[in-house]
Amino acid sequence: MHTMKLLAGAFAAAQLLAPPLASAQSVLRIGMTAADVPATTSQPDSGFEGNRFTGITLFDGLTQWDLSSADKPSVIIPGLAESWTIDAKDNTKWIFRLRKGAKFHDGTDVNADAVVFNFDKVLKKDAPQYDAKLVAQTTPRMPTVMGARKIDDLTVEVQTSEPDSFVPINLTNLFIASPAAWAKTKNWAEFAKSPVGSGPWKFVRLVPRERLELEKNTGYWDAKRVPKTDRVVLIPMPDASTRVNALLSGQLDWIEAAPPDAVAQLKSRGFEITSNPYPHTWPWQLSHVPGHPTADIRVRQAMNLAINRDEIVKLLGGYAAPAKGAVPPGHPWWGNPKFDIKYDPDQAKKLLAEAGYGPGKPLKVKVQISQSGSGQMLPLPMNELMQQQLKQVGIEVEFDVLVWESLFNNWRIGAKDPKSNGAHAINVSFATQDPFFAFARFYDSRMVAPRSVNWGWIQDPQFDKLVADARGTFGGKERDAALGRLHAYAVEQSSFLFVVHDTGPRAISKRVTGYVQAKNWFQDLTPIVMK
Amino acid sequence: MLLYLVRRLLYVIPIGLAVSAICFSLVFLAPGDPLSAVLPADASLELIEKLKADYGFDRPIPVQFGKWVARAVQGDLGISIATGRPVNSELARAISNTFVLAFFACSFGFTLGLVLGFIAGYWNGTWLDKVVTSLAVAGVSVPHYWLGMVLVIIFSVFFNWLPATGMGAGGSSEWAWDWEHLQFVILPAVTLSVIPTAIITRTVRALVADILSREFVTALIAKGLSDRGVFWHVVKNAAPTALAVMGIQLGYLLGGSILVETVFAWPGTGFLLSVAIFQRDLPLLQGTILFLALFFVFLNLLVDMVQTLLDPRIRRT
Amino acid sequence: MSAAAVDVREAASAAPAAQFAPTQGYWRSVFSRLMRDKVTVICALVILALILMAVFAPWIAPEDPLKGSVMKRLRPIGSEGYPLGSDELGRDMLSRLIFGARLSLVMGIVPVLCALGIGGLLGITAGFHGGRVNTAIMRTVDVFYAFPSVLLAVAISGALGAGITNAILSLTIVFIPPIARVAESVTTQVRALDYVEAARASGAGNFTIIRVHILGNVMGPVFVYATSLLSVCMILAAGLSFLGLGTKPPLPEWGLMLNTLRTAIFQNPWVAALPGLMIFLVSFCFNLLSDGVRSAMDVTR
Repeated sequence: MHTMKLLAGAFAAAQLLAPPLASAQSVLRIGMTAADVPATTSQPDSGFEGNRFTGITLFDGLTQWDLSSADKPSVIIPGLAESWTIDAKDNTKWIFRLRKGAKFHDGTDVNADAVVFNFDKVLKKDAPQYDAKLVAQTTPRMPTVMGARKIDDLTVEVQTSEPDSFVPINLTNLFIASPAAWAKTKNWAEFAKSPVGSGPWKFVRLVPRERLELEKNTGYWDAKRVPKTDRVVLIPMPDASTRVNALLSGQLDWIEAAPPDAVAQLKSRGFEITSNPYPHTWPWQLSHVPGHPTADIRVRQAMNLAINRDEIVKLLGGYAAPAKGAVPPGHPWWGNPKFDIKYDPDQAKKLLAEAGYGPGKPLKVKVQISQSGSGQMLPLPMNELMQQQLKQVGIEVEFDVLVWESLFNNWRIGAKDPKSNGAHAINVSFATQDPFFAFARFYDSRMVAPRSVNWGWIQDPQFDKLVADARGTFGGKERDAALGRLHAYAVEQSSFLFVVHDTGPRAISKRVTGYVQAKNWFQDLTPIVMK
Repeated sequence: MLLYLVRRLLYVIPIGLAVSAICFSLVFLAPGDPLSAVLPADASLELIEKLKADYGFDRPIPVQFGKWVARAVQGDLGISIATGRPVNSELARAISNTFVLAFFACSFGFTLGLVLGFIAGYWNGTWLDKVVTSLAVAGVSVPHYWLGMVLVIIFSVFFNWLPATGMGAGGSSEWAWDWEHLQFVILPAVTLSVIPTAIITRTVRALVADILSREFVTALIAKGLSDRGVFWHVVKNAAPTALAVMGIQLGYLLGGSILVETVFAWPGTGFLLSVAIFQRDLPLLQGTILFLALFFVFLNLLVDMVQTLLDPRIRRT
Repeated sequence: MSAAAVDVREAASAAPAAQFAPTQGYWRSVFSRLMRDKVTVICALVILALILMAVFAPWIAPEDPLKGSVMKRLRPIGSEGYPLGSDELGRDMLSRLIFGARLSLVMGIVPVLCALGIGGLLGITAGFHGGRVNTAIMRTVDVFYAFPSVLLAVAISGALGAGITNAILSLTIVFIPPIARVAESVTTQVRALDYVEAARASGAGNFTIIRVHILGNVMGPVFVYATSLLSVCMILAAGLSFLGLGTKPPLPEWGLMLNTLRTAIFQNPWVAALPGLMIFLVSFCFNLLSDGVRSAMDVTR
């Protein structure tokens, strides 16, 4: 076994030096952008890259994203819950019916007790399995969920604080871990050393900071998604050129966020670059804290008009789309905003002059940015280019460069916190596949620190009303319309400096076949076959 | 001599304590609360207090230091803030990885340095000497992190002869002394060895040239001392200083590997250090620096003692 | 033994002995010897040229080092309008290398100068007073000396956070101990000299003795030693920026440029390698220059 792994692992690395060795096990080796293996405690850290690699691989949620299509926007499908309904009498109660026969990797049943146990780990403060570190990664993503209770072995009732149509989407972020495995040590840090979930991949081993190894779960409850590759090895490599080097020299089969500068070289060496637009926005989230220059709508609009997005797309080698809002025109949630986000430096200067800035009194803005990170694309050069462009209209930008993990933590403490160093903007890219992620958490006045990521402390009754409307609308079309009104107002307010949407370039070796790049942050590794 | 050795040995204690104090005080240089980067956003006040107590940040500073040293002496360096794993276990793996790298860098660098230095010193003043000397100056002048990049460009990107980064498909946990794994160590080890090679070359060259120019040696040679005899004479006289320089270089190699390990993503102590810095993981930062600094102190001690034993005339303070 | 070296300790162990009672004739002969040493003269000229280039950068550089066009990014060396190519944001490499000399040289030289002042003062004080003052100063210095230089620089910079001032501060702290050691040992030697003893006996004040006898004798060797640290400091300072602990973007600085150009090694390896070449050039010249000055001052030769 041990030898097999060695042989398989060394195969690509040694292919030019030694005769290729036959391998009995197929292995897919992926270079992630995270600086460390995302937490395997069942609630990953490192943003959505964490969920992508140590969330949906090892674990299941009650609901999950359908990642089987490269053409259609992905939708929510049943996960460990077969079906769900909202209580007709009380819109704050949801009933989830669990799938029969799903088992954790340790052989125990996934039942109502196990599901409630996992709700309690982040919601019930006096539960023994409650853990503050897990809470930080979870509750901000399902803010209205209050708790869950067992009805019978296969039925769970979820209680929310208010009627919220986003709940089934939010619950993709709560991963169900085996209570029996936790009970062995009663400690999530210990659990993380050999995590047990019910997902399509089973844990093999973890070398902190170096790699995580998973193997296929042949007994996965969804026979269609039993992995076709024996093993997956996930390696953290925050540095883009390190990832490319490792791919070129055969140490990896797949790298996340291939840097555009390396694309030509990668293609010429026979690697495939996959990309597909997905619901992603790369913005600067602007502070609305009174006293900050960005609290002035004219300044925010001027910033949006000062950015030449075509140049940024060019910098990214075309692997991006210019943003006109959080979602593109034509999207069901677009909503026809009256303010058109485009490149218009003259108008930007005019707005700045109206706001009282000019050559004599330049506008100074401090931005917290990261060096790398999930969905952050090429943060340093992109931000530097924006710095140049903003300078053209008289805005001087200063950067506070943090590692991704720290930036993410700073995102949660909000612009008012002294640890934010008086920053006026923060550069955290985000997912827009979920209306809570795309809108609610940023604009709802209650979502300020410590609850969620209304980083800029927006306290606008109009936003609150629009968010509440969308949450309380349970019909599909009507809810889209409500979200459209919310999005239009957000664009008009320019609460963000919207920059680009990512297309998720990944570089993949020719040996990887069967991969379908879903229009999603998450990707399914199960259909992949290694040639 | 015994007295000197004992005194030298005892001197390590205050130095070690003072070194620990500096490592410890790094916390207070750092702006902001070390827990800030890792506390959950909605942590309650009780939780913050509890975590502070866990890390001992609620105690007066001298007490914190005392406890830290007491635990460090027992081999407990605390818990990494970012990962929640013991600093010891993080460090242990990194140390073994760095030692693998250092072993190759030293073997390669010391051998090459000795050979080149001897050649240059023996044929002092000839064109050979000039070439070696220039190479040595270039060696101490080259920014090795850049050299590493250039080597990657040449050997990995252009020719695809050697892997560019990492420690092999299995990571450090599956390290083995076979070619599949050894090929990973070549580029980083060569990069890391450049400075020690150059310094040892220069030292040995000067020593050899100096010994050969001494009157009694020239006299011996004139009397017909065999080449072999001359060689042994030189080796015997040059050994203490050469050994001392090599010992110190080993220390520098370990302490200075951060840049090379960053370029090659080699999961050693330097890499750990840069992660600790950028994640503001102070227990990890302190622990790593403390280990490297104490190792360096110990190495210096060892060098002094060996040198004293080899050549009792030398008395270093 | 040649003494410029990348590690301070090796350099320190090779520190020159005091040149006792140098006269005007001595300095003149040092100078004339220097002038005859072609390698040293060339290195001095290269450094001088680089310093002038840094000072007059705004007049020499063809372009604004901060302004670029993404449409013209990563042009190869020798393309039209970009004699040395363009960087990842389409900024002119030549201009950035010219402007980069400013911060890179400042960060390579200022720490050594600061350390020369502070370390020299500490060492002379320790050497002149001897006794407890000496013990107090030199034992403290020993503690910092117990850290490998790169480690100490990274540790302090890492704890303080990125920034030019922090990087200069941490490098200064790194170079104080070796300079203090050299100053102390030379001062101790000079203090024991007969004529200094005589001056003391004749009732000359401490200040006069230090000014007339000690400084004149000590500063030469200490200065020469400090020059051998310049090359180390260049490499370390750029190394800190390379790690992200020195200058912040978008300022042109060679170490940081090397870092940000790393992703371009596939598209344009030679442009990406240029900043490193500059660091190498300066550090190489500093090393040879320091070697030359040392051997010129070595009267026994």
